[in-house]
Amino acid sequence: MFYISAASTISHQPTFKNAGFSNAIEELEKGSALLNPDFKEYIDSGLLRRMSKILRMSVACAKDCLRQAGIEQPDSIVVGTGLGCLLDTEKFLNNFLTIEGLLPPTAFIQSTHNTIAGQISLGLGNHGYNMTHTQNTLSFEHALQDAILLLGEDNEHVLVGAADEYIEILDEIGTAFKLAPVTLTSGSSFFVLSGRRSETSMAKIADVETIGGVRDVSSQIDVFLKRNRLDRGMIDQVFFADNLISSMPSILKKSFPGHVEYLNYPLYSGLYATNSAFGLHFAIDKMQLNRGIRNVLICNHLINNNLGLTLVQSLEA
Amino acid sequence: MGVRITGMGIVSAIGLSVAENLLSLRETRSGIAPMKFLAKGNNLLTGEVKISNEDLISRHHLKSSNISRTSLLGLAAAKEAWGNNQHNDQLRTGIISATSVGGMDGSENFYRDYIGKDNPDFRVLSCHDSGNTTERIAAELGISGYINTLSTACSSGANAIMLGARMLLQGKLDRVLVGGTDALTQFTINGFRSLMIYDDQWCRPFDDSRSGLNLGEGAAFLLLENEKSLSFSGNETLSYVNGWANAADAYHQTASSPDGKGATMAIQQAIRKSEISLSDISYINAHGTGTKNNDLSESVALKNVFGADVPAFSSTKPYTGHTLAAAGAIEAVFSVLSIQHGLIYPNLNFQTAIVEEGLIPAKRLQNTPVQTVLSNSFGFGGNNSSLVFSRNS
Repeated sequence: MFYISAASTISHQPTFKNAGFSNAIEELEKGSALLNPDFKEYIDSGLLRRMSKILRMSVACAKDCLRQAGIEQPDSIVVGTGLGCLLDTEKFLNNFLTIEGLLPPTAFIQSTHNTIAGQISLGLGNHGYNMTHTQNTLSFEHALQDAILLLGEDNEHVLVGAADEYIEILDEIGTAFKLAPVTLTSGSSFFVLSGRRSETSMAKIADVETIGGVRDVSSQIDVFLKRNRLDRGMIDQVFFADNLISSMPSILKKSFPGHVEYLNYPLYSGLYATNSAFGLHFAIDKMQLNRGIRNVLICNHLINNNLGLTLVQSLEA
Repeated sequence: MGVRITGMGIVSAIGLSVAENLLSLRETRSGIAPMKFLAKGNNLLTGEVKISNEDLISRHHLKSSNISRTSLLGLAAAKEAWGNNQHNDQLRTGIISATSVGGMDGSENFYRDYIGKDNPDFRVLSCHDSGNTTERIAAELGISGYINTLSTACSSGANAIMLGARMLLQGKLDRVLVGGTDALTQFTINGFRSLMIYDDQWCRPFDDSRSGLNLGEGAAFLLLENEKSLSFSGNETLSYVNGWANAADAYHQTASSPDGKGATMAIQQAIRKSEISLSDISYINAHGTGTKNNDLSESVALKNVFGADVPAFSSTKPYTGHTLAAAGAIEAVFSVLSIQHGLIYPNLNFQTAIVEEGLIPAKRLQNTPVQTVLSNSFGFGGNNSSLVFSRNS
């Protein structure tokens, strides 16, 4: 059993340092903006100038988490990101395709996926295991699984999170791929996952599974619940992300009994590859406000090919 | 507790299979040459894999030609590593790859056309994301379930091997293909040139006159199996991976710390995990990119760990170039070959030791029993990984 001892999210919703946000937020409207905290509280202004959105969000959330959990150094830092540092990637592409002669290297340096985890370790002076998972919509679940492995080895606290950033060209790409008009956003969610319960513990992570090339979503859910000695009747809430074929509502309603509450979390976070991390924070926050919730399933089927399942339990469950 | 390696596959500048790579290593034949496939007429020295995308597509009977070169190289290596293994419902099979460029080989061409308003083909972008490059490989091999991709620059391939070993030891999988793949791209070539660490000449790791790296491309995979999987496959064990570690430098966004802190930690922790003594390490396959910074930092780390008794070591990057995310995996294959065939590879182009550190790498190919190999992969952003391979568990 693994304990969430801190959670921090920067998104288009007022989530940052706002415990209890889950009851106050509504589905995102068109034209919403990323709600930035005062980054200078977390990042030196000299560094901040050169940091892209995804870097500043992640560093701020990471630091906020450590403060919440009351720890100075996590044993490891594990990050998931679907598309990585897009702003700097596009910037460097522009640079080398248009500039003659010597190129400025900053955008290249900051374009690599592991800059996020690397920048966090740099800011903390952390020498522990430092990993970046990039499996598009399952990147966060893979990071969580790695964190669980680490806690089963010799780690006590793992800083684990995910982030993705929006750039304008994504809208055009969405149109070119004939994706339904959806609100593309940025977001970053970080957590401290610990091996033992403490006074800052908020919930338990019982299990995480990632299935690439998934065929029968319903039976995968069954296998997952059975492995955790649960039946569908014991689930209180299902937080889900639906793919463009919109299969989830029918799968869920067919599979779960009437009392289960469903929440389509991308409607709150907007669309980015690792929004299941937002989903997790959303679920954990709801759990703090309603002590009756015991078992929550997060069903990430954001793209048709991939299924991520996370079982979150209340501390009493 | 070591993890069994029962399969290997590789494509690099020095060959399109394990056998071809071994022959080139034995014959001291480098694959670094002026570019031919990515950009003809450019005299930059690179370690290109000597096969076109068209030939790779036809070799593997692929239906779609909309596929990144990164996936193509990875598929070639993964197929070789998988060999004749069969799918089996009773075994939990996974694949963990690593990449830094993903589908950028296609995306950069798209972007050029896009900013030039020259009829950009948006379809290639479906291959852009790193995870997708692994999904294409998995789909061709018929693997579903645990499919993952890591991206930590130059240490990625080693990290994939480490993660796979841990998944097996903690009972999450029965067998797993682990490795990495990266194709050459204008993006990375320009990137390293902008950092002024790309050498116009053939790289000279650990030499005092070294002035940078030559980029390479390629892919390599290992097949790791637990006892249950072995009881089904009956595969021969080629070698074991006994030790692994990853440690962050936390020094600078790109440069390695001059005191080699992260590298020292990675090496020490990997050796400690292997429970093998320092004096039993027969050979070190160094990261040795040929940059001023890495080779100095790595030398300091080696001396921190081994003191006056640094074992025989060399960098094989003058053969293959620096293959970024594939490096840790390509060099893992070279490490296993070293153990299997009793070979210590020479560090090509070495003449004068680094003045500050004075370490001298192996200068000639040696035929000598090799029990245990330490392999280093130290990445951008201070991500340091070391692996220990051994003949025995």
